[in-house]
Amino acid sequence: MRKFLDAVTALIAFACALLALALLGGLVYVIVQKGGPAISWGFFTEQIRLVGAAGGIFWNLIGTLILLLTAFLASAPIAIALALMERVWLKSETSRSILRTGLYAINGVPSIVFGIFGFIVLVQWCGWGKSWLAGGLILAMVILPTVTVALMERLKAIPAKYVEAAAGLGLSRSQIIWAVLLRQSWGGLITGSLLGLARAAGEVAPIMFTATIFAGAAMPHAIKESPVLSLPYHIFILAQDSFDPGVGSKLWGSALVLLGLVFSLSLAALPTRLRIHEEAHHG
Amino acid sequence: MTKTLSWLFSLLAVATMGLLLGIFIWQSVPVWKHEGWSYLWEKKWYFRQHEFGVMSMVYGTLIVSIIALVLAVPVGWGAAVFTSEYLPRRVRMAVKILIELLAGVPGVIYGLLGILLLRDWVYDTFEAFEPLSGDTLLTAGILLAVMILPTVVTLSDDALRAIPSAQRLAARGLGLTRAETIFSVIIPQAARGLGASVLLALGRAMGETTAVFLVVGRQDNNLPDSWFSLRAWLDSGQTITSKLVSSETNIAYGDSIHWGAMVGLGLILLVMTGAATLVGTFFTRKPHA
Repeated sequence: MRKFLDAVTALIAFACALLALALLGGLVYVIVQKGGPAISWGFFTEQIRLVGAAGGIFWNLIGTLILLLTAFLASAPIAIALALMERVWLKSETSRSILRTGLYAINGVPSIVFGIFGFIVLVQWCGWGKSWLAGGLILAMVILPTVTVALMERLKAIPAKYVEAAAGLGLSRSQIIWAVLLRQSWGGLITGSLLGLARAAGEVAPIMFTATIFAGAAMPHAIKESPVLSLPYHIFILAQDSFDPGVGSKLWGSALVLLGLVFSLSLAALPTRLRIHEEAHHG
Repeated sequence: MTKTLSWLFSLLAVATMGLLLGIFIWQSVPVWKHEGWSYLWEKKWYFRQHEFGVMSMVYGTLIVSIIALVLAVPVGWGAAVFTSEYLPRRVRMAVKILIELLAGVPGVIYGLLGILLLRDWVYDTFEAFEPLSGDTLLTAGILLAVMILPTVVTLSDDALRAIPSAQRLAARGLGLTRAETIFSVIIPQAARGLGASVLLALGRAMGETTAVFLVVGRQDNNLPDSWFSLRAWLDSGQTITSKLVSSETNIAYGDSIHWGAMVGLGLILLVMTGAATLVGTFFTRKPHA
């Protein structure tokens, strides 16, 4: 009886894990199978025609990349500052822990809330209208906790003797920060940013009121009234009336490209993360 | 210099978050003045008549999240037990990476799959109950279940792995089977972490927007007589997020009461997800650390 229960437990746990992996496999299979035929060189280099039924997604891809790059550039300095606060400048454990809890709280804020916030402040009050910069800044808020926490963990993993050696050489605290802490932890910043951007790349809610339109935008040349096209919003709009088979294949092609982009960003973050993991276990 | 810059950028972040909270409170004042507490308790959303009550949307948000949790938590816990207790470390890392890839799939892609596959499946499977369409609270709940599953697995796996291996060895040494070790040694000690995984997944489920918007049907004022009516799950509904991301947000700006009602929804959502996230984060802390 005990042996039997043991086997049943193992079997149920195995089935649950298999189900989770099967969902991933099934999802990728469906997207590749339906989106694959739409993929061609022209799909990446042409612009949309006929409301998404023809042409490619060139400007959607460019728009998404502009938003991601802006989000990265805007979030990096803030993340570095916050991580240094937590590791270096804040003296009491209470204030550090408040900062960490605050980051977890921000991470839990639904992205649509950031979207509405951006709509009020940047689109209306600042009078930018829909703008790539508004979208990039709002996405920066979305990814800020991910970037900061990754950087904090990397800073924490720097051996104390490095800092002691630098201090022994007579370096000032800000010299230690630039020469030791930040130099040793830039991998954390990159990893965190890649993970954050992997999430940001597929978000619709933060950018639909602030930055992106469905058609009729190319390279933005200003801040005000300079929307961009984007991949997730393209899919979002086409998905709502996906009856035209022509639109259908382009729609799935776009989904495949977006999925590829998101997976590449997460996988690019992998090597550094695995190394941190190994060090945590053996170091 | 470095210190000044650190403080400056950090204060900028804090101020922005403060501004966000302040704006959501301040901009929703008109609707609180206009409706009073009935804004929270009543089921009526007729913006042309200026009547605003959020109950049917709070109901929608809670029901789709509960459906998602009921489906995802048992599977997620089971999968976490398997990855943490049965798999060797290298394989476990590989499986965790795949699960995290699943976590990264954008909501809009889930929504697309929901429209293509799940909608028809729900409509056909529950034909006996005569749903009006495949866009139902249940459809959104099932889709959300898939979306929060990775969160449950990853966090539960972390909670289980936090129990020292010495405990497993000791239990096995006493002659307990693997299953007995799991149920009487590992799970009781990991209970807080397992609970946290549920709360954090709940926070994600309540805040998820795009996928829910695409399959929930977006039917205003749909609140059954009984909150426990299962038949109501097969009706179209509206969640807080599906309302916020609809084109009504563009229409509402400029009409202070209507806009206040929309922003008020955001505030209620912030409170709901914030509570789940903060309590969940508190749970993940070890009592003595």
